[in-house]
Amino acid sequence: MAFQQRNKFCYFKENGINDIDYKDVKLLRRFVNDQGKIMPRRVTGTSAKMHRKLVRAIKRSRAIALMPYVEKGTD
Amino acid sequence: MKFYETLYIVDANLENKVLEKEMDDVGKELAKTKSKIINHRVWGKKRLAYAIQRQKYGSFIILQYAGGDLGKMPDFDTWMKLNNSVLRHMTVALSEEPAVHIEEEKSEQDNEKIQQQDTENVEVEGDKKSDSASTNENESKADSDSIQVESEGVKEEQESVSEED
Repeated sequence: MAFQQRNKFCYFKENGINDIDYKDVKLLRRFVNDQGKIMPRRVTGTSAKMHRKLVRAIKRSRAIALMPYVEKGTD
Repeated sequence: MKFYETLYIVDANLENKVLEKEMDDVGKELAKTKSKIINHRVWGKKRLAYAIQRQKYGSFIILQYAGGDLGKMPDFDTWMKLNNSVLRHMTVALSEEPAVHIEEEKSEQDNEKIQQQDTENVEVEGDKKSDSASTNENESKADSDSIQVESEGVKEEQESVSEED
């Protein structure tokens, strides 16, 4: 049985987003897991350029208490 | 000319008048740096992702301005840090000029909805009832959903803490 790999794509390039706002928590939430950790590029498919911007936005968001540094997972 | 944005959090239980006075003070302090204020508005009362000075909620205030005397910005930063009513603040440089924010007029129905949500939040919070700051409709809806979900987690935490005591 062969495994089919789903095509990964950069969410930001697909939607024409160039600048990521650290106040847009709803968007940033998509790129952290349930523990609040930033998901790797190989999982999300984000381009390198946008991933750097994403990481900066998430870290800013954490500093001002919009997003958690750590969160209890579901396990 | 560079543009900057300072986002700061104040106690969510402050009355509207006290909040306005606080914003006034911050504006005056910023005026010392000869910066030109573009926007200074309440973003809304939000649940903090983690407690700051034992506060679970905070009023977020956005201050956007064109940079003036950058040599005096450290003084403003220090003043904000020493200001006890500001829970936390952060200044970032903006890539482009911010648009002037225009307050949207809310219909009565939406206002009622927001008030209902606020009362629910206060019940969950179990703290003093506060004057709700004007919030963006969509944001407040989305936030209240997340607040309700997150509040369960916090309750568990509180229980575990009380057991330890």
